[in-house]
Amino acid sequence: MSQRMEKLKRSKYYGLVLLAVMVLVVYGVFKILTPHNFGSINNLSSYLQSSIIYSVGGCGLYFIVVMGLFDFAVGSNVVLSSIVGVILSQKFGYVGFVLGCLGCGTLLGLLIGMLYNQLNVPSMIVTVGVMLVFESVAVFVAGGDKQTLDPAYRFFSGAPGNYILAVLAFLLMYFILNYTRIGTYCAAIGSNEFTARNMGINVKKYKLIGFMLLHFFVGVMAILSVSYGTTMTALTGMSTMSRNFQPLMGTFFGVAFRKYGVPITAIVVGEFIISMIFSGFVALGAPTTIQNVVTGAALLIIVTLTARGGKGSVVK
Amino acid sequence: MEKTKTKDNEQSKLRAFLTGDTFKALLPLIGFAIIIIVLNIMTQGKILTPKKLRLLLSQIYYPTIVAVGVFFVMTLGSIDFTEGSTLGVASLVVSALSFYSIPLAILGGILCGAAIGAINGFFHVKFKLQSFIVTICTMYLFRGVCAYFTTETAVPASAAIKALDINELKIGITLAVLIVAFFLFKFTRIGNDVKAVGAGETAARFSGVHTDRVKFLAFVAAGALTGLAAFVNVIKVGSITATAGNQLETQILISLVLGGLPITGGAKVRFSNIVVGTLMYAVLNSGLSILGYDPQTQQLIKGVIFLIFVALTIDRKALKVIK
Amino acid sequence: MDKKALLVAEHIDKRFGMTHAVNDVSLTIAPGEVRALIGENGSGKSTFCQMLCGIYTIGGGTFTLDGQQLHIKNQVEANDAGISIIVQEMGTLSGLTVAENIYLGHETPFVHMGVKDTRAMNREAQKLLDEYGFGRIKAGAMIDRYNFEDRKLVEIVKATYTKPKILVIDETTTALSQNGRLELYKIMDAVRADGRSVIFISHDLGEVLTHSDTVSILRDGEYIDTVNAADVTEDDLKRLMVGREIGTAYYRTDYGTPISGEVVLKVSGVSVPGEINDVSFELHRGEILGFGGLSECGMHEVGKAIFGASWDRKGSVTLADGTAIDSIPTAIKHSIAYTSKDRDNESIIINESIRNNVVLPSLDDLANRGLLSGRKLTRFAQQFAEQMQTKMQGVNQFVSDLSGGNKQKVVLARWIGKNSDILVLDSPTRGIDVKVKQAIYALMAEMKKQGKSIIMISEEIPELLGMSDRIFVMKDGRINGEFLRDPGLSEEDLIAKMV
Repeated sequence: MSQRMEKLKRSKYYGLVLLAVMVLVVYGVFKILTPHNFGSINNLSSYLQSSIIYSVGGCGLYFIVVMGLFDFAVGSNVVLSSIVGVILSQKFGYVGFVLGCLGCGTLLGLLIGMLYNQLNVPSMIVTVGVMLVFESVAVFVAGGDKQTLDPAYRFFSGAPGNYILAVLAFLLMYFILNYTRIGTYCAAIGSNEFTARNMGINVKKYKLIGFMLLHFFVGVMAILSVSYGTTMTALTGMSTMSRNFQPLMGTFFGVAFRKYGVPITAIVVGEFIISMIFSGFVALGAPTTIQNVVTGAALLIIVTLTARGGKGSVVK
Repeated sequence: MEKTKTKDNEQSKLRAFLTGDTFKALLPLIGFAIIIIVLNIMTQGKILTPKKLRLLLSQIYYPTIVAVGVFFVMTLGSIDFTEGSTLGVASLVVSALSFYSIPLAILGGILCGAAIGAINGFFHVKFKLQSFIVTICTMYLFRGVCAYFTTETAVPASAAIKALDINELKIGITLAVLIVAFFLFKFTRIGNDVKAVGAGETAARFSGVHTDRVKFLAFVAAGALTGLAAFVNVIKVGSITATAGNQLETQILISLVLGGLPITGGAKVRFSNIVVGTLMYAVLNSGLSILGYDPQTQQLIKGVIFLIFVALTIDRKALKVIK
Repeated sequence: MDKKALLVAEHIDKRFGMTHAVNDVSLTIAPGEVRALIGENGSGKSTFCQMLCGIYTIGGGTFTLDGQQLHIKNQVEANDAGISIIVQEMGTLSGLTVAENIYLGHETPFVHMGVKDTRAMNREAQKLLDEYGFGRIKAGAMIDRYNFEDRKLVEIVKATYTKPKILVIDETTTALSQNGRLELYKIMDAVRADGRSVIFISHDLGEVLTHSDTVSILRDGEYIDTVNAADVTEDDLKRLMVGREIGTAYYRTDYGTPISGEVVLKVSGVSVPGEINDVSFELHRGEILGFGGLSECGMHEVGKAIFGASWDRKGSVTLADGTAIDSIPTAIKHSIAYTSKDRDNESIIINESIRNNVVLPSLDDLANRGLLSGRKLTRFAQQFAEQMQTKMQGVNQFVSDLSGGNKQKVVLARWIGKNSDILVLDSPTRGIDVKVKQAIYALMAEMKKQGKSIIMISEEIPELLGMSDRIFVMKDGRINGEFLRDPGLSEEDLIAKMV
């Protein structure tokens, strides 16, 4: 009996049910507290639309986090790539916008991966330095002005454009994880880098690919972000740091639900839950500044539940 | 033939020197000297005028105090990203209490900081979560708290506390912190314990070091010192906005790395890393602004210098797998 | 050279620092042969095979397979050359599916233009699993869903589906239940019937004799002999495994010295989940108490449990005055010292100076009202490092530069400095050259004379016989036998209780 229970607990459906229960609980709590300001179909659609932007980034970060690496330059690349995209859109229309965001994002990912491989320094540290550089480059590129996306190119700013793009990104992620070696190798490197190397996996190459993939998804996130907000301002002073964390939360969900084999669903649902919590607090009358508190507390709870080290393990 | 051989020999000697520990230990000082010389030439000596020096000093009081606390955390090989938000929240406490009594305000600031440090330490030690993840979460949380209380307007401090904006007092506090910390690091077992945990936590535990306690207390100390720095900050700024202490943590991280502190912590940590690092950061900062660079250029230069320094100073032997 | 040879190993050699792990070993294996490789812990059999399989680089000599010399850099290249290994530890990777694990590094047949045909891969993997009779393991499921034994079975499939010419099985059977073992034997028989060969490493001599054709014996890294399994008995093998001359000069020579009746440490009902089970004994004043057994028998955990370093320890460890030892600081405070088998991680801080390593446990004693004097610390470290005759440039030298023997001297120097009364020495002479070994034995004898008590945990039987007043042999986490010091006590007596 207990063995069957054990087996059930490890199945895919258990993971999905767990996610569904979490959604229902969060929804239920806020719906009861503020029945009128929270949770209409319209509301839910707007929560989802803001959350899918971060889900896309969360998908990208998954490749890196699964390998045990980290990236603080996600936010600065979102800003830089979307500014490049907007500027190119003024000349080349949609083609310039989309390719600008994706191309710039991926190229910068390549740059980060190469720097990481060459310098042999922890990814967390490399990407802090890179973030400083990207932020200032973004200001140069933007020429100090707010960049506004021309209304002619706002297909991705609302339904169905944003949904289409995000779903395409999720499908791509699903394809890479399940139908290429990359997903397998990233997991293998994260599980045991020495064994992976021994199995003939070119670890450096796949770390580089990981960074490129992450920043390709960051490029998609740039398209969605600037379309959603219609403007993008480049600022220095490490102001992009905060943009790293919303995608990260989804990634943590994904890593936690990896053992059930449903990482992408977990990323998307996880971001949706966070978005609901935040909107729920706002509906309760809390000022928008409460968002950071919610984000921080939610992240802390997620990692406490999922990322704990084992007994006797050395955790820095 | 013979000639190329000696050349090869010299080259390998040079390479051995460049990758050796002596060079790594000297690098911050060399870098500091180069930066001062270059900036001095570029600004035609403007950076070394007494007026500029005074201005420069006034910029480093509270970063130095904070850096002392972070120094202990980073010696463990851990990282603390909460300084900025801790400074913000503690500054709010100091400002609020400054209307009642100054000593109470100082104490309140320190306790507030220590409490935030204790939360970090608790999650890091008790649940064995990586410190950078924990402190990212709490950084966010307390940044939100700070923003919440400053949503409508900036929070003012009392006139009494603003009257304390005397250089001698600020220098005094900073020096006192440096001296006490140096004393504790050098002449009590605290220094040995912290370094031992950074260099080899398991072996330190088997040598009788209370590793969990040491780690917890390092985070509390980092918080408490940031709380004290909040007092110095309030004296200077007088009222607290949502951005108080913004990005302080990254500034401190960069300063300490520039000062030569190995990111892995451990045995090769030196107390002088704090002083050299914060000074270097401040000189770089003021030099670049005297030169009239806009903020983005300044940041670009800082970012590049940071990357170069990390690559040169990191102790790769201490990292089995570089993540 | 024999024309029929499938694998020829010539002058294979490997050193790890001071340890000569494999010393000029030459072997020839014929097609269709199951060759067992036996020897004590540290005899070099695993190292030998791991060089063959590309896990370690070859220190010297050549492997020739089917007339072609091998130049292998990693496991995948070994697989491609026709050599597979099933290792002692967990060889599957978490976070991957069963099929991904089986084909890791060998995805190419399923990848067309960069697209991996996952369905085909799962189908093929499932077919393999079914063929092996492991059909209950699902190819598409995450490996994390399965327990250790099932994961081992997956590894067996992974190692054998390519039909390797040489299959290495490195102490896999201990992890398997009877059923799993039977599966493995079936596979070994199939390989043999196919004209391919197996190298079979096992401690279970009964299993070795029934399932192998020939047996090669290694001892201290050296090749001893190869015999036909049909011609020998278990006792013959044991004799070949141990038959080394004991350098009596190193060890204590006294016999029949009575042990003091004074109990200094009482261990009762100590269990650590998954490691040791209900271990109880008493340690006497001036006694050297030996603990022996196979590497995984739990004896190493006994040392940790006494030192208060085990997680989730049950039962009690108490001193003569009733003080309970339940944490490392309490243990050290009450004069218990511990040196770990895992010297580089648990005993010393590698990236630290000799000075700071030696003074670390004694800092509280050296402090004057909490204040430390740098000069005093240096003098203290110098005194004891020199007393141990540590070869060093100075006490500020980093430990990472020292040889294994000198590292161990630093470890011992710190506990001598601490003047501990009870010493728990786990594998004190592991990876250490003869001269330092001698010094450590002399030190132990001297300490015994001073009335200090020593628990020596060792994988080297001669050392246990030569130094201990009493020996406990452990098996599967329990004490399985007790022997008193006696010149007539032989290695066979101890081994009989170990396996």
